[in-house]
Amino acid sequence: MAIVKLDRLTKIFDRAHAPAAEDVSLEIGDGEFMVLLGPSGCGKTTTLRMIAGLEAVTAGTLSIDGEVINDVPAKNRDIAMVFQSYALYPHMTVRNNLAFGLRRRQVDRAEIERRVTGVAATLGLSELLERKPHALSGGQRQRVALGRAIVRDPKVFLFDEPLSNLDAALRVSTRGEIATLHRRLGATMIYVTHDQIEAMTLGSRICIMNKGRFVQVGAPLDVYRNPMSTFVASFLGSPPMNLLPGIATDGQGGRTIKIGPATIDLPPDRMPPVKPGAAVTFGIRPEHVGLAAPAAAMPAGFAVEIMQIERLGAETLIVSKVDGFDARLIARVAGDCPMAVGDRTQLVADLSKAHAFDSSGAVLAPTRR
Amino acid sequence: MVRRSLVLLALSLYTAFAAGPFVWVAMLSLRTTTEIHRNHFAFPDPAHWEKFPEAWFNSNYGIYFANSLQIVLGAVAVLTIVGAMAAHCLARYPFRLNRAIYFILFSTIIFPPQITIISLFQILVGYNLYNSKLGLTLVYVAIQLPLTIYILESFFARIPQDLFDAARMDGYSDWEIFWRVALPIAFPAVATTIILNFILLWNEFLFAVVLITEETNRTLPLGIQRFIGDTQEDVGMIATGLMIAIIPVIIVYGFFSERLIQGMTAGAVK
Repeated sequence: MAIVKLDRLTKIFDRAHAPAAEDVSLEIGDGEFMVLLGPSGCGKTTTLRMIAGLEAVTAGTLSIDGEVINDVPAKNRDIAMVFQSYALYPHMTVRNNLAFGLRRRQVDRAEIERRVTGVAATLGLSELLERKPHALSGGQRQRVALGRAIVRDPKVFLFDEPLSNLDAALRVSTRGEIATLHRRLGATMIYVTHDQIEAMTLGSRICIMNKGRFVQVGAPLDVYRNPMSTFVASFLGSPPMNLLPGIATDGQGGRTIKIGPATIDLPPDRMPPVKPGAAVTFGIRPEHVGLAAPAAAMPAGFAVEIMQIERLGAETLIVSKVDGFDARLIARVAGDCPMAVGDRTQLVADLSKAHAFDSSGAVLAPTRR
Repeated sequence: MVRRSLVLLALSLYTAFAAGPFVWVAMLSLRTTTEIHRNHFAFPDPAHWEKFPEAWFNSNYGIYFANSLQIVLGAVAVLTIVGAMAAHCLARYPFRLNRAIYFILFSTIIFPPQITIISLFQILVGYNLYNSKLGLTLVYVAIQLPLTIYILESFFARIPQDLFDAARMDGYSDWEIFWRVALPIAFPAVATTIILNFILLWNEFLFAVVLITEETNRTLPLGIQRFIGDTQEDVGMIATGLMIAIIPVIIVYGFFSERLIQGMTAGAVK
């Protein structure tokens, strides 16, 4: 059992600067895999370090299972953390690295030996127990760092960008290992990353952070499909959501937007009525923009000039410039595409998947939730 | 091939240049002063090994050696522990005036130690430490501490913070982290300071000659000085004394030198 609760948690390092984390509130359920996702410097690592007990909390309360732990030192929180740099003790063998935390907790020798051997076996480290960290590869070091957390059997696991020092192939396989680990242990895990693929694939829920605040929390696909702000829309997804600035005009009960030379009517479930003249940002994911009219009921066309084509094999990204308007529109189409750079064509957006945001960047869709 | 021979030749010449005086003193140590006056550079034939026990027993070298060992080992031990703790503290904890304290400590290096000698003499007399081994030990600690802290601080500061955080998560207190994580990792640098301090203090003469006058408290460099009279000097015994004095330095260096090289190149290769 470990329910981690953050209640208006704030961290101020320096009064002269903006808080590193401000008023963050979140409840992480027992056995949940929560991912804190955001650009660098958004406060996600600071938040994690407050939970770990490595940073003092400036304001707000932090509790595990209802017990406030603001002033409980790190060593008494029963939390384990995996660091980005792995932080293996260079002067100790793998065995001692794994056993170091248990020794301090006065677990008896036989039990330490049993747990270390067990964890080493699960992580494929049995052969490496007598080696020192400098004689290990990056992937092996990473596994020792994971093992050091697992062997302690803590209430909560914290991960601080654990995969960012690995090469691409190793990152994918280790990601799988972490997912398996979570399923097997069923422990509460909090994972910090700036990599949205890690967030989407690992998280039971993800929490997007920006400038020290939580901007959206939810299941990964839900956040992806229903971004609450232009920040989330442009941060999540690769390439990110197309965002085209427009102005609301008369017609269609306040759901007509003029975007450069094009005028589109959004369906009622995508946008509430807006006063004519208001600035509205039109958002559409690249996968909902295509060359031919999609089967959806309400397509909208944009005349464009193709600037760049990226053929990725399974799919192709078409980067284009909207005619008579200074805006880029990216389409993601399946397979190859017969076009060439410089061609003029019509790109069609599936409006049943469109989003609208107001001038502050907040989503305009109150009826949907 | 030619290149290699040239390098070897250059190295041999340098070795001869550097080791020459040492070999000469080693030869002198096995010859009597009369023999030496006859020919300065002859081989020790016959070798007078009996000069070593003579120096040790009849000329009090045994006492000087024990005094040196006691004072230098004591000073090096205190320097290493206090220096490492101070360095760790200055490198790791961002307390108020951290950099000011570091600067004040370090700035004492720029003063030549001689300028403190009169006041040190007065202080030691005042505390009844003049002419005592403890007094000289404390003076040695004081003069070498800034440099020790300076060398160690830069090394401790390079230890990644994550290691300390990891140890905290593993349940260790600040004190335990110093002993079980920071100090073992910094050992190459610590070994460097041990060698530097040992060699420097083992050969130290100025403070010893001013602060120690009693025969029973003399250190080795003072003992060697005893063979230098006003009108004549016992060159042969001086050489024997020098050899006795050099041996511990060679042992300490041999023991820690691998660590010394590691410490000096620690930043170069990751």
